[in-house]
Amino acid sequence: MTVAAKRGRKAVKDPTRSFFDDLVARGHEPLLQNDSGTLRFDLVDGRRVEHWYVSIDEGDIAVSHDDAAADTILRTGRSVFDQIASGRMNALVSVLRGELVPEGDVRLLMAFQRLFPGPPRPRASRRTNVRERSPR
Amino acid sequence: MSTDLVQILEGNTFVVSDARGDIEATLTDPTGLFSFDTRFLSRWVLTVNGERLNALSTDDLHYYEARFFLVPGTGTVYIDSKLSVIRRRAVGFGFSEELTILNHDEAPVALEVRLEAGSDFADLFEVKDALKKKGSYTSRVERGDLVLGYRRDTFERGTRISASERAKVDRAGLTFKVRIPAHGSWATELHVTPTFGRLEKVVQELAKGRRAKRAGAMARGLEKWVEKAPRVECDSDVVRRTYDRSLVDLAALRFAPLTLSGQALPAAGLPWFMTMFGRDSIFTSLQALPFAPELAATTLRALGERQGTRLDDFRDEDPGRILHEMRFGEMTAFEERPHSPYYGSVDATPLYVVLLDEYERWTGDTRLVRDLEVEARAALNWIDGYADLQGNGYISYKRRNEETGLENQCWKDSWDSISYRDGTIPGFPRATCELQGYAYDAKMRGARLARLVWKDAAYADALEKQAADLKRRFNRDFWIEDGGYFAIALDADGRQVDALTSNNGHLLWSGIVDRAKAKAVVGHLMGKRLFSGWGVRTMAEGEGRYNPIGYHVGTVWPFDNSFIAWGLRRYGFKEEAARIAEGILAASGFFDGRLPEAFGGYPREMTKYPVQYPTACSPQAWSTGTPLLLLRTMLGLEPIGEHLVVDPALPVGIGHLELLDIPGRWGRIDAFGRGRVQTS
Repeated sequence: MTVAAKRGRKAVKDPTRSFFDDLVARGHEPLLQNDSGTLRFDLVDGRRVEHWYVSIDEGDIAVSHDDAAADTILRTGRSVFDQIASGRMNALVSVLRGELVPEGDVRLLMAFQRLFPGPPRPRASRRTNVRERSPR
Repeated sequence: MSTDLVQILEGNTFVVSDARGDIEATLTDPTGLFSFDTRFLSRWVLTVNGERLNALSTDDLHYYEARFFLVPGTGTVYIDSKLSVIRRRAVGFGFSEELTILNHDEAPVALEVRLEAGSDFADLFEVKDALKKKGSYTSRVERGDLVLGYRRDTFERGTRISASERAKVDRAGLTFKVRIPAHGSWATELHVTPTFGRLEKVVQELAKGRRAKRAGAMARGLEKWVEKAPRVECDSDVVRRTYDRSLVDLAALRFAPLTLSGQALPAAGLPWFMTMFGRDSIFTSLQALPFAPELAATTLRALGERQGTRLDDFRDEDPGRILHEMRFGEMTAFEERPHSPYYGSVDATPLYVVLLDEYERWTGDTRLVRDLEVEARAALNWIDGYADLQGNGYISYKRRNEETGLENQCWKDSWDSISYRDGTIPGFPRATCELQGYAYDAKMRGARLARLVWKDAAYADALEKQAADLKRRFNRDFWIEDGGYFAIALDADGRQVDALTSNNGHLLWSGIVDRAKAKAVVGHLMGKRLFSGWGVRTMAEGEGRYNPIGYHVGTVWPFDNSFIAWGLRRYGFKEEAARIAEGILAASGFFDGRLPEAFGGYPREMTKYPVQYPTACSPQAWSTGTPLLLLRTMLGLEPIGEHLVVDPALPVGIGHLELLDIPGRWGRIDAFGRGRVQTS
């Protein structure tokens, strides 16, 4: 794990829920404008499995718990997903490691993973060579 | 020993063995079966009656297939064997090996045939750096197969070995008790298949269609690839041979990202760099555009899918940044290496926009330009935002991952490639000159796409204004007045890093050089200090760090020269471009049509042949692409509107040259030329 990832930004109580809430708030995501399909997240917590459905229609995003046909299924522990949703774990790394197991359309996952946040950044590195201002 | 190694490969799966077909991995002989950057087999040794075999001959029939002719016994000069052993191996998903034994005797024989098998499941990075493993190993017999396994937490990889003939299987190999009648034969087919633990299902799904491919289908695929490419007719044997070889090597270098079913892009080099590299995949796609434009389309899509969206110091990732290198092994999985993917390159991002525009100019595929609008804009934004580390309007680089990140993020990525005349090396950040050229070109081309496809004239105007401003500042800040050329970089204090280098040629290619300065620049490129007779040296003779066999400080890089030739054409220096083409193509004749990554910078009249620089990786994608781009520059091919303009300037020695069926927005077109430029 990176140094940056270990140190904290203020912890969110339920990073998974706030990640999905944030998706709903976005409504439309230009990064996904060429993509359509449904991702199902199976988040395992002991015996409980929480299902989240994210439907993408040329960039329009809808989130629900309602059963629907999925193009991509992602299975992982709820605690692992909490880390991914808060940027403390990289989604692609968790796939390589076998902690996040995808099934079905992997292209959709590749497109979607761009929406996960980056690692929390320690204050110190802000003054180094990254200018935080967003261009333009 | 490594010169005797036999390599076969398909995508990112490859087998490296000795001339007998055996694998006994050691530190100095990195042999094995590799897939997804993991070694799945590190021991694979054949014995007959306890004896090792002796290689009579080895054929690498195709890049994915090899045949080994063997006899029992080793070390003797005189071989009189009553047995022949043939191993025919083909790579697909893992590999298959057809093992045949012929009995030449008039009496039957009883043999014990054994294959020892084992795996260390090393990550490619561990193979390179000899690191120790952290997980645990298993080996078991399951339904007659030998199954090797490795596990570290949830990370699991395995190797399944099966045989078509009955074998006694133990945890270290397979033994066959064989009776072969007089003048008879025996055969078995072995399969070695990588497994991926919990990811098995998805990998199987993605690899479908790859695993079933047999040698026959592979051969037809290669034939089709060659048929689809333009044909070359030429008086020069060297040109014809080099072209044929480049086409086949380019086929071997194709790498199909799992997420884009069946489409391929050029990987960087064979076999250790069979993965997606931003810089290498883009440069090679540019070189190959007149021949195989579909490579560019896949490169653009695949790199776009993986474009940076976050700030991540470990990966040197920024929003809009195009990746440097992607890897799938254990060290990447546990973040001991940042390649998931790693973004530490500063040229790939502007070059991404350059490729998108050049691709559209050739193919007219505006749909791809529309699909990638968000990515292209993000790349253009990155140039003026995150890449401008010093806030001075220039791209520069300094890694944020100080442990495992790359220090040098431009194509000359060795530690001493950037220096002042006196050999001193600047600190970081560094703003190398070619990056500013790429940025200028990206803005100009981005403006064209904005106007033509994205229908955003205001954005196009803004980009052109920025480009003009950049060009003006660049010609003031990088120009070395008393030398008449451009500095290789500006250091952290804005001071010129003043060694004379081949980077000046890339500046011509990008169009950032003021017309009035071009003649002086060309004078340097073609002058004695930079031009060796074979090509332009990476660094000029007489500079503090100049060394004719120094990686980026004096050797000649074919790839570098192909872009310099393109730059010379851009500024109208046709004859100079022809001289470079002549030198590089003549050199390729000494390498059997396969240009190495680099060769020595010794003067041509001194050595008479190009002295190869030793590298681990051959063929190298952008060296393979070099003859293709040189064909383009010699014929002066330039897409203008719906037409392909042909304006040949060929060296005399080449004679008559025809390039037939050049694909593009015009359908297919032929180009002709005759050598008239005196080169010596």
